[in-house]
Amino acid sequence: MVSRVFWGMNLSDEVKILEKKEVPLGAIMLYGFPDVGLVGVIAASHLISELDLREIAYMDSRLLPPMIVLHEGLPHSPIRIFGNHDILLAVSETAISADTIYPIMNALIDWGKGKNVRMMVSLSGIPIQDRQDAQELKVFAAASSPEMLKMVQDKGVEILNEGYMVGPQAIVLQSCARIGLPAITLLGQCFLNYPDPEAAAKVLKELANITGVKVDVSKLLEKGDEIRLRARDIMKRTQQEMSKMKKTREYDIPVYVS
Amino acid sequence: MSSRKKRSIFDIMGEYFENLEEMAEQLEETLMGRPSWNQKACTMEPLHDIMVTPTEAIVTFDLPYTQENTIQVKPIDKNTIEISAKMRRRIRFDDFGITHYKGEFQTFHCHTRIPVPVYMDKMEIRFKKGILEVRLPRKREYIIPIE
Repeated sequence: MVSRVFWGMNLSDEVKILEKKEVPLGAIMLYGFPDVGLVGVIAASHLISELDLREIAYMDSRLLPPMIVLHEGLPHSPIRIFGNHDILLAVSETAISADTIYPIMNALIDWGKGKNVRMMVSLSGIPIQDRQDAQELKVFAAASSPEMLKMVQDKGVEILNEGYMVGPQAIVLQSCARIGLPAITLLGQCFLNYPDPEAAAKVLKELANITGVKVDVSKLLEKGDEIRLRARDIMKRTQQEMSKMKKTREYDIPVYVS
Repeated sequence: MSSRKKRSIFDIMGEYFENLEEMAEQLEETLMGRPSWNQKACTMEPLHDIMVTPTEAIVTFDLPYTQENTIQVKPIDKNTIEISAKMRRRIRFDDFGITHYKGEFQTFHCHTRIPVPVYMDKMEIRFKKGILEVRLPRKREYIIPIE
């Protein structure tokens, strides 16, 4: 049963987050959204099953495609928030279009801020050429503030020093920097256009290192082929949206202007 | 005398690009409008990607569960290749919790058009970590000399 409705502050009478259960205060909020290699979605899906996270809220918005996701015959929003006493995990089962990404992400961030989340972490990927030849996949991080950057560096994570970031994780980092909410993005080296469970496993290991949210990733690696097969259609849709978002800008070399 | 306002070349070009964009979106939707599997032929279409470098066209295919010794890559005309590969196990819709479709798949199959002229007979193939990579040297049909 829906107990409370949170209206997105920024645009947005257009975006509502409806709570189904009591939401813990002061949790860590994680994001797993469709992007390169579907790293975030695969990692999020594994967290949900390993930590037995329950759906506690969902998004209702006319900005989303006119669709529902059926699970065991019942309708669900394609964007949902799962959680337990210490974790909130926002996950999307549909690619977010470039023209709606700002209000959708900002509504989630505002909602999380209202729940006094102590940190936001986006789980995502960074594509590399000849990924199939890579022996060891690296995970890079970017952060919303110098303090957060130092914290991840102290944990031994390499920083993404210069470059462009495109997609949901870019909005999370930018908005959190603006409102002073600690945030980091973890980017695992991955395939650009193919689902990459191995990269998702690497990102989850760094998540454990940084936040203490630990899960066993062995099943994720064992089920790699099954996940790649299952995720083909969402990967195809995500490719389309990434191209509209000009995702390949992430390959560009920036001109330092500060 | 006609009262119609003369349009600038920029307006005409702007309209042209808008139409082009609209057509591209329609084409994209048409291509996405079909499923990525063929129930009748019991085949699945793999995800694939094409990269063109100055010297070659590189096509990759994501082929999870594939038995390497069953992969076939055939040129079917001067700029199209066809690939097929058998999976190690049969995949049924209900493996994914889908019960409203019936059918099973054990083969990947697709055709891919190469966007530049290439030497089909010099094709190189390798398969690693479930990714099939097809490299085709580019054909230089003419070279414009620099004066």
